[in-house]
Amino acid sequence: MQRTAEQIEKDLLRPIFATSSRYKIAVALATCMVLAGVCALGYQLWEGIGVWGINSPVFWAFDITNFVFWIGISHAGTLISAILRLCNAAWRRPVTRCAEAITVFSILIGACVPLFHVGRPWLDFWMIPYPSERGIWPNFRSPLAWDFFAISTYFTGSVTFLYLPTIPDFATVRDNAKGLRKKIYGLLALGWQGTPRQWQRLEIAMHIMAIAIVPVAVSVHTIVSWDFSMTLVPMWHSTIFGPYFVIGAIFSGIAALILTMALLRKFLHLEEYLRPLHFNNLGKLLLTTSLLWFYFTFAERLTTWYGNSPSEMDVFWSSIRANFAPAFWTMVVCNFVIPVPILSVKKFRTITGTAIASSTIIIGMWLERFLIIVPALDHKFLHFSWGSYRPTWVEDTLMASSFGMMALLYLLFSKAVPMISIWELKVGLQPHGGGVITTAPTIRKPRGLVLEGPLPTDVPE
Amino acid sequence: MSHKWGLAVDLDRCTGCEACVVACRAENNIPTAGEDQAARGRTIQWIRVERTWEGDFPNPKVRFQPVLCQQCDAAPCEPVCPTYASYHTEEGLNGQVYNRCIGTRFCANACPYTVRSFNFFNPAWEKPLNLQLNPDVSVRSVGIMEKCTFCVQRIKSAEILAESEKRELKDGEFTTACAQSCASKALVFGDLNDPNSEVTRMATSNRATKLLGELGTKPNVTYLERGTWQDATNS
Amino acid sequence: MNVVYALFAEPDAAQQAVDALHAASAELKFDERKIVIVSGEPHEGYDFADSHLTSLPYVWAAVGAATGGLCGYLLTTLSQKAYPIVTGGMPITPPWTNGIIIYELTMLGAIVTTLITLLRGARLPNFKGVIKDPEIWLGKILVGVADPPDATRAQLESCLLQAGAAQVKETSTVH
Repeated sequence: MQRTAEQIEKDLLRPIFATSSRYKIAVALATCMVLAGVCALGYQLWEGIGVWGINSPVFWAFDITNFVFWIGISHAGTLISAILRLCNAAWRRPVTRCAEAITVFSILIGACVPLFHVGRPWLDFWMIPYPSERGIWPNFRSPLAWDFFAISTYFTGSVTFLYLPTIPDFATVRDNAKGLRKKIYGLLALGWQGTPRQWQRLEIAMHIMAIAIVPVAVSVHTIVSWDFSMTLVPMWHSTIFGPYFVIGAIFSGIAALILTMALLRKFLHLEEYLRPLHFNNLGKLLLTTSLLWFYFTFAERLTTWYGNSPSEMDVFWSSIRANFAPAFWTMVVCNFVIPVPILSVKKFRTITGTAIASSTIIIGMWLERFLIIVPALDHKFLHFSWGSYRPTWVEDTLMASSFGMMALLYLLFSKAVPMISIWELKVGLQPHGGGVITTAPTIRKPRGLVLEGPLPTDVPE
Repeated sequence: MSHKWGLAVDLDRCTGCEACVVACRAENNIPTAGEDQAARGRTIQWIRVERTWEGDFPNPKVRFQPVLCQQCDAAPCEPVCPTYASYHTEEGLNGQVYNRCIGTRFCANACPYTVRSFNFFNPAWEKPLNLQLNPDVSVRSVGIMEKCTFCVQRIKSAEILAESEKRELKDGEFTTACAQSCASKALVFGDLNDPNSEVTRMATSNRATKLLGELGTKPNVTYLERGTWQDATNS
Repeated sequence: MNVVYALFAEPDAAQQAVDALHAASAELKFDERKIVIVSGEPHEGYDFADSHLTSLPYVWAAVGAATGGLCGYLLTTLSQKAYPIVTGGMPITPPWTNGIIIYELTMLGAIVTTLITLLRGARLPNFKGVIKDPEIWLGKILVGVADPPDATRAQLESCLLQAGAAQVKETSTVH
């Protein structure tokens, strides 16, 4: 079925102008979860961080697990949007905004965790380098100071990356709306007209942003991993953590993206736009990252086991055989054993198949973060100080609430902004499928029916 | 003369009585955690006596080792604190500035000896224990990391006294609470820069070892090893 | 701003119209820069769309990155040198760890500069109002002249019709 520009507009603007009762229920549920988290947080701020399950020696547990998990999920947008934009893969067009939105919201949630996991959150501003007559200055040698700069940069970059291509779509909504909505979208669109100069400048800006955001994303999760590997803790002090975490982040990010796309497709009726092709391609990427994840995990564990250093082997066996063994093997099943068969066989790499694989991967990657942090802290060098950890209801509530927050932010976003980039889809409809940025004016006539990039298998004539 | 404070522990003399632990609590206003919190691993112990044993009653082979902040010269807890709360003084102490600590707990994770304690709640002393607090030591509130300071309040007051009297500090003139209360004189505190001090003599003994020395933290606490396992029936 | 324009469904036709307007600009006594083109999507490969290609934003991004890097250097190295804290053996200004912060601020400089370059280059935010025609978003390309002289108005309309327009319209910018 041929989609015209008119049809695209109608389909993609519909969620903005119409609200279903299902949407309202979903927002209500998500709000409840967020409110529960706010209550738990208030209780924690009042009583002290002792209401969590952390103790000596496990000083970081669910808090940092969630932090690394959400920052990891944020790598979805970067890979899909930026790298596919640079590779000029045509199939990325409907997917980019969903991905970029996940990135912005998960960074937001991830960045909240370190703010509140400290013992005295009201003094967080001491991490900001500002002139203080008390002589307070951040320690730039600390990985936490690097985290502050890395996450701020990444957040700024991601918000810019999300906002810039949305400007023309805000203009579309502005021109279709009336009253207060028109004013608000008019402000958001910054008075976008659509002259060739504006389009060119926008595409150049997106190109620069795509080039800039990829190294930032790699550095962010590397720096987060260095929160661990810069210490001497056995099985934390590993040089593999940088690339391991980046791959893990991309892995969990793509899984989150596939799940989100599957849900959006169902509830916003985007069947014509988010096609099996997209899930198939993302499924292949997910398979690649699953294999890479397995490679890194295996490399890390094998070198530890082969080296047989006593303090490291204590941590190693606690994961493989002892108290953390159920979690460890669940993680392996969720991240590798279930997804790889589903994703390797084309017959199973459908929307349902990839969604199932993605769900198990999200669980498995959360467990992976937990298993990196807690067993190592549990079993440090001096046996006398070994401990144990169990989360309390406060930590469980905060974790559940972070998912509720993500759902809420995403639901509100899908109401305010077209979830698929309208103008980019229209470019995809053009005979030459949208071109590469060149630095000189090209021929006057269109280049003919030559598609840039791989031939999508079910793009209409 | 500049000082470099150090502690030596003669493991041959340690009986595991834990008088050092009690004295430290009294001197440094350390709150008690209570039975429930202690079971959850929340005790605050600036010095702890580690007990390890082999065999069963009536002939176990027991070993006691008091473990406290090693005041490492290359402390892994110092580079990781984002607010410089954990820093190194010019006299070789690993200082903890309570006022700068925002409680990220990174230092506690980085410490290989797990000697750092965190205030998970605001401290409370049941009456009349609140009357025994030491006025020379600040009381830490919730969310602050704390650890052994080598009784820096005693160091400072001795230094101030010596300076006002225009003289050098003498070895043994003052000592830390743990060393002061050790019944068997297993703990000895002093100036490692003073070649004649007791602690220097012990630190250069042929029994001297460092706890987890292979990690390269360069601790300033020296442990004098025993020759063999102590047999419990032969004192 | 008053715009006399026509809508074209195909970029080829739009290109012809733009060329025709350029050719007729002297005769019809309007400034070539007053030719207005609006579309709901970019059309690469066409002269009318590509005439604004420039490498300047890349240069500015590099300048922004250098500025960010310099700020990072000032922040880490110079501030720590000015107020050295007793670090007990840790280097005062370690280049590797400072380098991480300098790197992040470099990238931030590039990102912020790109945003500013876009806003300036695209003349955003634009408070003078926009030309509104619902057909723009449905794939049509608007080609016209802003504030044409009344004397040559009729000739302008016929020029557009000759270039292939179905109908000539007029509108003024709205907010």
